[in-house]
Amino acid sequence: MAVTVTKIPRPDRSLWVQSYVPEVMRGLSITSKQFFKNLFTKKDVVTIQYPEVKRDYPERYRGLHRLMYRDDGQVRCVACMCCSTACPANCIHIEAAEHDDTSIEKYPAVFVIDELRCIVCGMCVEACPCDAIRMDSGIHTHPFYERDTAFFDKPALLELGGPSVAHQGGDMKGVQGHH
Amino acid sequence: MPTATINGKEVTVPRGTAIIRAAAMLGINVPHFCYHPALSAPANCRMCLVEVEKARKLEPACYLKVTDGMVVHTESEKVVAARQAVLEFILINHPVDCPICDQAGECKLQDYYMAYDAKPSRLTTGKVGKVKVYPIGPEVVYDGERCILCTRCVRFCDQITGTSELTVVDRGDRSEIRTFPGRELDNPYSMNVTDICPVGALTTRDFRFKCRVWLMTSTDSICTGCARGCSVHLDHYLGETQRYRPRFNPEVNEYWMCDEGRLSYKRLNANRSGALRVGERDDLSWPRAARMIAGALADAQLQPDQIAFVASADASTEALVAGHEYALNILRAGRFYWTGRADGEGDAFLRCADRNPNRAGLVHSFGEQILERGADRLLKDLKSGGIRALFMMSSALPFGREAVEELAAEARKLDIFILATSHAGSLSSAATVSLPVAKHSEQTGTWVNIDGVAQTVDAAYAPPGVAIADWDVYRRLAAGADAEWPLDSVDAIHARIFSDEAAE
Repeated sequence: MAVTVTKIPRPDRSLWVQSYVPEVMRGLSITSKQFFKNLFTKKDVVTIQYPEVKRDYPERYRGLHRLMYRDDGQVRCVACMCCSTACPANCIHIEAAEHDDTSIEKYPAVFVIDELRCIVCGMCVEACPCDAIRMDSGIHTHPFYERDTAFFDKPALLELGGPSVAHQGGDMKGVQGHH
Repeated sequence: MPTATINGKEVTVPRGTAIIRAAAMLGINVPHFCYHPALSAPANCRMCLVEVEKARKLEPACYLKVTDGMVVHTESEKVVAARQAVLEFILINHPVDCPICDQAGECKLQDYYMAYDAKPSRLTTGKVGKVKVYPIGPEVVYDGERCILCTRCVRFCDQITGTSELTVVDRGDRSEIRTFPGRELDNPYSMNVTDICPVGALTTRDFRFKCRVWLMTSTDSICTGCARGCSVHLDHYLGETQRYRPRFNPEVNEYWMCDEGRLSYKRLNANRSGALRVGERDDLSWPRAARMIAGALADAQLQPDQIAFVASADASTEALVAGHEYALNILRAGRFYWTGRADGEGDAFLRCADRNPNRAGLVHSFGEQILERGADRLLKDLKSGGIRALFMMSSALPFGREAVEELAAEARKLDIFILATSHAGSLSSAATVSLPVAKHSEQTGTWVNIDGVAQTVDAAYAPPGVAIADWDVYRRLAAGADAEWPLDSVDAIHARIFSDEAAE
């Protein structure tokens, strides 16, 4: 491949520019104009007074994880381990157990997310086949003073959760004699 | 010997060979559910239908025998269309709850669906509900909805174990696998049905929901539950064995293994000891500990007759060869004994009454006469005195708890009691020196089974703590004693084993 060369012309420096002082004065005048304008009218301020004032996050902003629950308040997660498999940071720890209800069959006895290790990529949400894990809580990971407090267990994740409208287990209408 | 052409490749097979076998010889996999090489072919799943030229319709490859001049197509348009239709029929009532199902990741139905069908369901009617989590046997759980009624499990109980517990009950889409009234799937090989089940209908109570299959790494290994030494796939995750699955080995176990052996993997995980202890100190390095042991043995000024070496029928041949070398030339033991696990129930199929995986290796290294000097004799000799130092290759004993405590109490009275063990227990706490060693899942080792079949396996994962391979313990102890040591690698030990065999 041939190398293409673009020639950039040197800027024209006139005597006016090279004499330095007039250009400095011009720059300072722009700064002062902005300063006094914002001091009295507050028309053009781009900063916000965080944390008193908070910006609205976009709808798909990935915040702290939450676990959704079924209609009866039980966790939706069936401990399929798809999220922990997809997780590039290995921050999800799940221990599956047998559920007394045979139609649910399997549930996570332990579900812990290390929020410090999480890289907020959202792969767990994409991997979840049950709409059980979401990152739409809108809360961003706050600082932790103790490492232990960064481990979010099942009750903590469910507390942020809500009921899911997704239909669990596919369309089961008309199931005959389902035990 | 008929010659057939399959997908354009010619193959000559013995008379009576099914098309599916002939295709396998050419490396062509014909998708199938109900066919299993060790069982009869009922041709009921219709998954292996292939196109045979001059035949009026598609033929089941598992059932139709190869004839001379037969021309078979296994991936033609017609065959693939039939396969898709079969999958669609099976999936009419199969719940697509792969996230819950334990078979996900090693499910034939899942694999074939992804390979051939991969379409959403066209059905608007609901699925037929069937029994869930049905305890079909003490070790096996049945799920009627996931079952595709291939009847592999039924044929296994009829043709392999001959116990005939299972049958198909009801008709059509209500069919389920059940035990005959008053019976349950409780034969000693019952868990094999979970291996041959192509879907997640039969699962073992033990492995159920324990670990997803795609997380595990599989290493070819053997079962050390008895003298049969069945070849297994040792599936492990994060340095822990999760399960055994039988590995095809026509010389040993074919496709099967017993339930007791399958569950014997638990010994690899439970109550392991990875700590090296000499006296009260457990913070020593191996070279330092080896020097202290050599020093203590030299200081004790023992006669060979006062030193006992206890070989183990539980250890690998490499360990036994190295242990023998160490006992003769460095420890200079004058008394030799052997220990192992107590005999159990045996049968004519796979299970051996001898629960020790390497009695043949023990005899190979220490000679036939050592078998006369077992653990009972050791206990008797310890009680009568005369032994002042004891070296044990493993803590496996054919005793109940009481007798083990008795032996531990006797061993406490000795000047020096060195124990190489993989497990913590009363014996290891009685020992003056406790040396942590690896299990067969953590080291290279050769085990010789009851029929003289030697199987060499490699380490699946690293041993716990500072534990090392058995043979390496003797190398390090020899280095601590500043002695000549000819067996400083597995290769050197293998060279000795095989030169011995050549000399015989």
